[in-house]
Amino acid sequence: MNVSTRVEAAGEARSGPGALTISGLSRTFRIDGRELPVLQGIDLSVRPGEFVSIVGPSGCGKSTLLRLIAGLDTDFSGEIRLDGKRITGTGLERGLVFQDHRLFPWMTLEENVGLALLNGTLDQARRKAVVEDHLALVNLTGFEKAYPHQLSGGMAQRAAIARALVTEPTLLLLDEPLGALDALTRVHVQRELQRIWMQQGSTMIMVTHDVEEAVYLGDRVVIMDARPGRIRRIVDVDLPHPRKRSLPQLHRLRDQILDELTRTPEGPSENLVPFPSREAR
Amino acid sequence: MRPIDRPAVRIIAALLAPVAVLIWWQAQSAAGGARALAFVPLQDVGASLVEMAASGLLAADTLATVSRAVTGLLFGSMAGILVGAAMAMSPIVDRIVGPLYHSVRQVPLLGWLPLIGLWLGNGDGAKLLIVGLAAFYPTVLGSYEGLRQVERRYLEVGVLLGFTPLQHFTKVLLPGGLPLILTGIAQAIAFAWIATIGTEILLGAGAGLGATMSHAQAQQRMDVILVAIVATGLLGFTLNHLFARLRQHLLRWQAAIA
Amino acid sequence: MTRASSLIAGVGPLLLILLLWQWASASGLFPPQVLVAPADVAATLADLIARGELGVHLATSLKRLIAGFLAGAALGLAFGTGLALSRTFEALFAPMFQALRQVPVLAFLPMLVLLLGIEEGFKIVVVAIAAFFPVALAAFDGVRGLPRSYLEVARLYRTPLVPLLGRILLPATIPPILTGLRLGLTRAWLVLVACELLAADSGVGQMMEMGRQMFRIDVVLAGVLVSGLVGFTLDRGVKLIERRQLRWKAA
Repeated sequence: MNVSTRVEAAGEARSGPGALTISGLSRTFRIDGRELPVLQGIDLSVRPGEFVSIVGPSGCGKSTLLRLIAGLDTDFSGEIRLDGKRITGTGLERGLVFQDHRLFPWMTLEENVGLALLNGTLDQARRKAVVEDHLALVNLTGFEKAYPHQLSGGMAQRAAIARALVTEPTLLLLDEPLGALDALTRVHVQRELQRIWMQQGSTMIMVTHDVEEAVYLGDRVVIMDARPGRIRRIVDVDLPHPRKRSLPQLHRLRDQILDELTRTPEGPSENLVPFPSREAR
Repeated sequence: MRPIDRPAVRIIAALLAPVAVLIWWQAQSAAGGARALAFVPLQDVGASLVEMAASGLLAADTLATVSRAVTGLLFGSMAGILVGAAMAMSPIVDRIVGPLYHSVRQVPLLGWLPLIGLWLGNGDGAKLLIVGLAAFYPTVLGSYEGLRQVERRYLEVGVLLGFTPLQHFTKVLLPGGLPLILTGIAQAIAFAWIATIGTEILLGAGAGLGATMSHAQAQQRMDVILVAIVATGLLGFTLNHLFARLRQHLLRWQAAIA
Repeated sequence: MTRASSLIAGVGPLLLILLLWQWASASGLFPPQVLVAPADVAATLADLIARGELGVHLATSLKRLIAGFLAGAALGLAFGTGLALSRTFEALFAPMFQALRQVPVLAFLPMLVLLLGIEEGFKIVVVAIAAFFPVALAAFDGVRGLPRSYLEVARLYRTPLVPLLGRILLPATIPPILTGLRLGLTRAWLVLVACELLAADSGVGQMMEMGRQMFRIDVVLAGVLVSGLVGFTLDRGVKLIERRQLRWKAA
């Protein structure tokens, strides 16, 4: 197992569907006249089909980073390129799964999942088939006519993942997708996520508080610092998929990263990362 | 189960007070006091009911009142949704129309009658205008608040999925705002019904339950008045009840509140 | 927005309408029965105040309102509380209450005229009825909504009736009851004006009806303004009390 600290420089990215290049990305918020730098000088290259986890303490800007890549936020300096093209605003080739599933409560599951296809070119029959395929992908066949309030948290989140995948995006972004689920459901959905990723082959970038989840799912783990948000280092997780949770290498890696995140240079640190599964939100 | 909770007991208990009132009423009519004319014997009321139903007067009045109420309701609530939506979507419209709306709303609805009477006379136009206004006020408020409180996080999903502005409105704002919009319409129905009866009583002319009541009062026919009152209550209840069922169906996606 | 600019934003549109109105009536496009300049309305209003006429009308209306409202609200509070506290009382009177509630108060006007004539008593009774229903409903909701735990604590300490009402029931139910009182007050005002339009010899409503019969639109508009102001003051007044009472509640 390699724990290398390579930081991929911009420009090294290979081309191919789903290659993401971020160069010199900075984002500053203006609050009450003061400037708050949330992200500073982010350089990151993601290979096509890669699964990248991002961990870091609260306030390190990881969610902001995802929103910038998704195009929900467009006020930044620097460059974000997907397969060579600059990103300006949202696009169906980039899907985003939120922590709160954000299924529309007034629509059935199949209506929700089919939302992204509305402005596409498929006819109704094809749309229905695609929706069914993706519901099957997340193991929710049979719940097409259910309303979100009738689903459990885990089921709703899986539906949200299906909704994001229905356009076959080249890049799927996940913002703490399992943070609102209880521990047991989380384990289950993590396994589903791994299976889906292996089946689909999209590039996936996942932000999470849970270091264990990050090393379990990710090919690489990006460790961020806070205030301002920067990439501290990137860790390779050189293990084949599908992985078993019990692998000792995973545990060692997790402990190392946790230790790094909670280690203080001098005195109590603001970078304290509480133990993920115990964190109160 | 305590005796008071048994269904049979509850039914009997429910009937006790009304029956007592009826008995008191009948006694008053037999006593022949100063207002004997007012305390019409119950059998006369029953006879009037039969007569009014048979002659078609009841049906005609019901039709006139209900159609007046529904017409005013439709126009008033549609206008209300448009204005409320405009205010919710555009801060400029909100700032201009808002104060106007709130100040005009302070005037008791029927207080507009003399003014509208001067402009439009006694006819249907005046009545419909007031009924429409009665429906307008709560619908504006309901639409405004309903659309405004649609959470940003759902709108963001729309942005993410590339919705057109129309899709933003029809797929996110409107359904998300529907609960409060429907509450506004429920109130509009209630107020429109009240306004319909009120204007019919105050403006006398034409057909309708309120007009009949007004004429009956002039002719001191309490029996006709009572029949009309019961009809008014039943119709109002039915209208509100039907809408409540419709509302429940439209909002079936809401989580049941235990 | 600063307070000054938001005040301007609030009043601005109204001033604009006022100016438009003044211009429209001065332009002579509309006959005097239809439109009368705001300046004329103001003059009429000033005249009515000076001659004391407005004062008399207003005082009469307000007297009826207060008398009727106090009676109706007191009865409503008692009735609603009784409904909420006693299953027997509820079984006996709730059905009739719900049935009567379906009838618009105004529909009772002809009946009450026949029963009571058109004297002061009639108007006060009508106002009382108009205030009764919303207040009774609010009292019922407020007391019913009381967390069971409050009442259980009271029973545990065997609290007698008066302290139970005063120290537990009242503070907890004041917010919804205040709202009910506000609704009852505004509805009572509405019904009173309608009543005075129909059958009265004095009062704000009657003043408007007189104005209509004499084709004096300026008098009518003055009445509209006054009735609106009264409605606004009543509504705002109770809202202020509500806000002060709500201080102990989390926002």
